[in-house]
Amino acid sequence: MDILVCIKKVPDTADAEVILRSDGKGIEEEDLAFGINEWDNYAVEEAIRLKEKEGGKVAVVTIGTGDDEDILRRCLAMGADDAYRIDSSPFYMDDPYSVAKGLSAFAKKHSFDLIMTGVMAGDMSYAMTGPLTAGMLGIPHTTLVTSIDVKDGNISVTRELEGGLEESVRLELPALLTIQTGINEPRYVSIMGIRKVRSKEIPVLRAEELGLSAEEIGEQGAVLKLESLERPPEGKEAEMISGSPDEIAEKILEIVKGVV
Amino acid sequence: MASVYVIAEHRKGELGDVTLENIALAKELGQKYGLAPKAIVLASSARAFAEELADYIPEVLTIEDPSLENFLYEDYAAFLRPAVDMFGPGSIVLCPHTAFGMELMPRLSAETSLPCITDVTELELDGTRLRAKRSIYNGKIVSSVSVDASKGALVTVRTGVYQAPDKLSARGTIEGLGVSAEPVRKKTEFIGYREAPAGEVDITQASFLLSIGRGIKDEENIPRAARLAEKMHAVLSCSRPVVDKKWLGKERQVGTSGRTVKPKVYLAMGISGAFQHIAGVKGAGVFIAVNRDPKAPIFRVADYGVVEDMFKLMDALEEKIGGER
Repeated sequence: MDILVCIKKVPDTADAEVILRSDGKGIEEEDLAFGINEWDNYAVEEAIRLKEKEGGKVAVVTIGTGDDEDILRRCLAMGADDAYRIDSSPFYMDDPYSVAKGLSAFAKKHSFDLIMTGVMAGDMSYAMTGPLTAGMLGIPHTTLVTSIDVKDGNISVTRELEGGLEESVRLELPALLTIQTGINEPRYVSIMGIRKVRSKEIPVLRAEELGLSAEEIGEQGAVLKLESLERPPEGKEAEMISGSPDEIAEKILEIVKGVV
Repeated sequence: MASVYVIAEHRKGELGDVTLENIALAKELGQKYGLAPKAIVLASSARAFAEELADYIPEVLTIEDPSLENFLYEDYAAFLRPAVDMFGPGSIVLCPHTAFGMELMPRLSAETSLPCITDVTELELDGTRLRAKRSIYNGKIVSSVSVDASKGALVTVRTGVYQAPDKLSARGTIEGLGVSAEPVRKKTEFIGYREAPAGEVDITQASFLLSIGRGIKDEENIPRAARLAEKMHAVLSCSRPVVDKKWLGKERQVGTSGRTVKPKVYLAMGISGAFQHIAGVKGAGVFIAVNRDPKAPIFRVADYGVVEDMFKLMDALEEKIGGER
């Protein structure tokens, strides 16, 4: 089974302060650590596990700049067979439609049995790229996948619903799945492992090679436009408890004692 | 006249509360921009759902077909593709940003010419431009995005942002939409539901929850948190990253995909406050949050906030309790 995994590099903002750029169009990226989108990492691991079980090959692709090749190389070190980069310069990357056009045009040039990507990306959190790409390719999809089972040209998956409930869905191949975090435990990538794939060639594709014009994928062709960024509204603010850890602990125990 | 449509979400014979939240937004948009708010129920048997919704919205439209018993985007889209053509230019279609809306709306967008915006918290019409606010970068930034809604637009709305509206004084009307499914060769099949196993604790019944998140950093810190919880007579719960890493069982996860809890005290440590997590703590008596990042979104929902390293505080708490006994 040949699998394509679509990945993206994002800043880690879960545990970091995010500072708005003064032009209000982006964030200060200097002090942030960048890496493979968490959901995509689970997708890559799942693809490699499927390959190990069912045979076939795993390819990874990103739409990005040369700086993004490190996440592709990381996937090669994990066990992906091939990595491709689509040059992002003509793309309006804030529009998930532009991204999906690029990914679907790339997928059309190959014949993958299965395409995987993360449920969403940790930066913009649209959760659109997967189902949009599947829609453009005319192949079935399902989102929020928490387990995969392949049998006789079909694939059975569970998808996460709300409140601890899941549902099982069967899809005909080729299909596209968006992968939820927690589906597996992604393997560790060592520096040695990355060193081993250092010389592996990563083909770079240009949009026109994929039959895409700058009008379609550039800002003028964008379906969804990013207008501005701002700080979240202040809203209700917590009453802050300050002091030494000891003093804070005492205050917390007091509050708890008053209620429980 | 252009309208704003709410697609009802239902599962296992029950209507989701999120549908009422979206009705509240639809009515707000209706008033502001002169759009007629309407609900659409797609189901194998739509009557009961429609009756329920007619208490809240002036017009309920139904699409009934045996294929619509359990949700599959293929079956829904087969009806909705021709339906959106009937809705008229400028109409807005709302779905909740849940497993249902996330599966359906971007796909429907790719299969029609209507643009889609997902996970929105606010909507505004500026001529034919539909503008939305969205929470990005882990809730630390808000973005404004827009699409051309002259033909119409599809939107998924973040849950928990809008409150269910009051009932109408005069019940709404219920009517069949009169649309047939486009023929499709189906490539997906619904197999069944799977309930998560019960597990060793029921965090929904706990009166005091000590909840840990990404800030716990390492599996070897889990016993430390468990020990503190026990000393404080609290039940240990957590946010998603801890369960994803298999450090604690799914039954301890607070949030939309885990459990919804209503403890008297919720003490969150090292949890940044993703909305999926916060949505699971709506009923807490006192909410105390401990986080190193003073800008963590959790401080916007907590009653008390502490900007401190969670491990330092855990040590201090343990010491204090130890001394009292």
